[in-house]
Amino acid sequence: MGARYLAGRLATAGVTILLIVLLNFILFRALPGSPERLLLGRIPGVTQQVLESTKARWGLDKPLFPDQFVAYITSTAQGDLGFSYGARGRPVTDVIGQRLGPTLLLFGLGEIVAVIVGLALGAYSGWKRGGVFDYLGNGLSLILYSTPYFLLGMGLLLLFATGLGWFPTFGMVTAGATYAGPLEYLADLGSHLALPLATVSLGLVGQYAIVMRSSVVETLSEDYVTTARAMGLRDGRVLRSHALPNALLPTVTLVAINLGYVVAGAITVEVVFNWPGLGTLTVNALSSRDYPVLQGVFLLLSVGVVFANLVADLVYGLLDPRVRA
Amino acid sequence: MAPPGARTRAGIDPRTGDPRLFRQVLGRPDGLAGIAILTVFTGFALAPDLLAGPLQTAVTASGPRLAPPSLAFPLGTDELGRSIANLTIHATRISMVIGLLATLITVFIGAGLGIVSGFVGGRLDALTMRIADFFLVIPTFVLAIILVSIIRDVLGTGSREIFGIRLSLIVIVIVIGITSWSATARIIRAQTLSLRERAFVDRARVIGASGPHIMRRHILPNVTNLIVANAVLTFAGAVLTETTLSFVGLGDPFQPSWGQLLEAARSVGAPGLGAWWYFLPAGICIVLVVFAFTLVGSALDDILNPKRRGRR
Amino acid sequence: MSGSEPVATRALPRLAERSAPLLEVEGLRTHFQLGHETVHAVDGVSFRLERGEALGIAGESGCGKTTTALSLIGLLPPNARIVEGSIKLYGIDLATRSETALRRYRWREIAIVFQGAMNALNPVRRILDQVAEPMVQRLGTGEREAHEKAGDLLELVGIPRARARAYPHQLSGGMRQRAMIAMALACDPAIVIGDEPTTALDVMIQAQILELLQRLQKQLGLSLILITHDLSVIAETCDRVMIMYAGLVAEEGAVAEVFTRPRHPYTQRLLAAIPNIHAERRTLETIPGSPPDLRYPPPGCRFAPRCPVAMDICRIEVPSEVRFADGVRVACHHYPAGSDGTPVTLPTDAPYGTR
Repeated sequence: MGARYLAGRLATAGVTILLIVLLNFILFRALPGSPERLLLGRIPGVTQQVLESTKARWGLDKPLFPDQFVAYITSTAQGDLGFSYGARGRPVTDVIGQRLGPTLLLFGLGEIVAVIVGLALGAYSGWKRGGVFDYLGNGLSLILYSTPYFLLGMGLLLLFATGLGWFPTFGMVTAGATYAGPLEYLADLGSHLALPLATVSLGLVGQYAIVMRSSVVETLSEDYVTTARAMGLRDGRVLRSHALPNALLPTVTLVAINLGYVVAGAITVEVVFNWPGLGTLTVNALSSRDYPVLQGVFLLLSVGVVFANLVADLVYGLLDPRVRA
Repeated sequence: MAPPGARTRAGIDPRTGDPRLFRQVLGRPDGLAGIAILTVFTGFALAPDLLAGPLQTAVTASGPRLAPPSLAFPLGTDELGRSIANLTIHATRISMVIGLLATLITVFIGAGLGIVSGFVGGRLDALTMRIADFFLVIPTFVLAIILVSIIRDVLGTGSREIFGIRLSLIVIVIVIGITSWSATARIIRAQTLSLRERAFVDRARVIGASGPHIMRRHILPNVTNLIVANAVLTFAGAVLTETTLSFVGLGDPFQPSWGQLLEAARSVGAPGLGAWWYFLPAGICIVLVVFAFTLVGSALDDILNPKRRGRR
Repeated sequence: MSGSEPVATRALPRLAERSAPLLEVEGLRTHFQLGHETVHAVDGVSFRLERGEALGIAGESGCGKTTTALSLIGLLPPNARIVEGSIKLYGIDLATRSETALRRYRWREIAIVFQGAMNALNPVRRILDQVAEPMVQRLGTGEREAHEKAGDLLELVGIPRARARAYPHQLSGGMRQRAMIAMALACDPAIVIGDEPTTALDVMIQAQILELLQRLQKQLGLSLILITHDLSVIAETCDRVMIMYAGLVAEEGAVAEVFTRPRHPYTQRLLAAIPNIHAERRTLETIPGSPPDLRYPPPGCRFAPRCPVAMDICRIEVPSEVRFADGVRVACHHYPAGSDGTPVTLPTDAPYGTR
């Protein structure tokens, strides 16, 4: 892998993260309306004295640049994201950290399932172009693409939890339950995970299938695939060895680009199922105007997406020799 | 009739001039279906009072609470006793107008930046594209949430209306606009780059035409079709974004959009209670409208992109 | 790859008839289905290829030359099919064989080198691997041995072993074309089809590639079918030439004969359109008009609408092929059966190209 390619990507990622931090800073310090008023939210009984002490405490009486900015950057770099109001002054990092696990579980598994199923369906669709499977799959994918994730979630909840009673209707584990052993815990977790996972996966599968399909169709009409056929190679070999490695390339890019958008869906799915992750945290922080938490989540998610994009770029570099410098 | 691809003096391909484009879209099954669906919803949006009477409020609600569909209330009632049918039809106007306004802003910013950036090139172009890439990477949804709350807190609440939409929702329109322009900008810029190299632009330059003049009279007409195609898909995205923003609590209960209805349904616990009539109508409307836009967008894409139509 | 073995000791396919000609195509008709309409891309083409021979197929774009080639290996797109005719390889009719049966002959008997090396090589795999692949997959050669032999083949076509591990995008156009030739030779085929092998290459590289093909032909006893719209390429490399027009054969014979004494008006016009450095300066001849729409081929001779010496009968009746003493076959009403075969003179007094 070319060192230049790697260095270039790292540099871009670094700059982007810096810009995110800057944006975060600007959002809360540099917008009109005194920041201390924003920070205090709508707590009643705010006197001038409280305002002054808040100002001092947060260093808001110093000039924006460079003092406030530098202070902000150093404290962020040290992992200090401030304190949440909603959680009675607990550090934001704590609050977020607690919710990170469930989100990673739901979201990570969802992406994995969607990638595997979506790519397989798309590849099959593209190979068997024009068949019944293709049209049905295409139509279904388009409809799924037009459906907000949370709507899917509500529908699934209605059908399978309320209607059929197969799954619980909210939460990650049954509240106040005790378990005889790890297996029981996993079973409980699993039954709570099933519907939200299905929702996230369904929402993503459509897009991946559509892109993979068109990528496969495009690849199959390339000259090197015709050459492979002319060589007398069997269909399976042509697909596996020649078509798919090339068809995968745009999909890798898509998975990465998509991450920014999928965050919206993930947040709402958690809300529907009351899944104790970053999504519900965000929505609760939103309604209580807990800005430090909101800021922290934005920072975390943005950096996470940038990082994931970086990984995707590296994977792409591994797959496609043409981009390696 | 000029052969396909023939250039008129201004470089416009007569085959895809705007009125023809619309007819071409109607000629395809996906385009036709999409336009048909959108026409129905436009009807709802333009005359909700005619179809369902004035928007019901907590005061004018007359039905049983959270009741399933019946003869009197064909789509059931919500927890306040309002007719879901009434709410859903009125919500059409809100969702569609917000979508439309947000699309206008997005396309205006995106196409404007795309044309200028692509035409001028150099450092301006590099800078603009860096910013666009930035917005493409970050999760704009979380940013939008933050922006909407901050701006609302700063502006305060009120019942002023612009274009018949309350201020609080206009904030959503603006925020969607300023966070979604990147994709449009990239697409239009790419087209501008290729147009810039064409002969008719050089001719214009040689006779001394200025930059803005060339951009307006030569580049713009040739990207119009692309802008239209992109606007259609942007509209779909804007509707989805507004829906999601409303769902997380940023909607306005006084002017419910479909997303706001869904949020209300969820907070009442409709799915858990089996009250399917509360959220399915709004949900189906959303899916239909976005699907319709996607169909039209796909039809436009096929028409404007001859490469896609069969090979060799 | 020994170069001095006589051709006859090459292992023949199981079903081959020893005495049959290498390749005999008779009355081939391949049609495309476009919606409700049928494109008669190849509408009655016959020719023969002997061992060690190089046949050039020439004609304008759309005349059916590539479709003919694809028909030979059965690689037609899904909306095309061979509606009539036979393609006999060593007497085995490939036109009637199923896809699975055909696959057996691909590359091992007939290999093809496509034009435009841009995308004909898999961009994510190394050249060496791509040349070795048919050996491993079709001949069952072991991986290591196949890579050894692939390296040899690449050297044979002029790519040094050090470059063998390169990816296609790292090679120039000429080298990519050479790599494709090496790939085509991997299974020691009897016939190599080159579809516009030198188009998109500059003249110097073009000459090198042609010279390579000629050398390989002699060294390995290959039979070549060279498809191109460039007559000078055929004149340099081929023994026989077949001129196609609108899906039919206009004229076919030894290069020496056809190029010095062209009979068919189309052939004459084609040759006249080649600028000749040695002849005196004159305005370039072009052939006015364009080839017919093959969804609705004209009745009678397909060249009649553009022919400077078309007669009434030309617009009514399709001319049949007539073979003359010098081995040249022509399909033109000016050369009915029994005529002496003197070339008809075209109205302009420009000399037709000579070598």
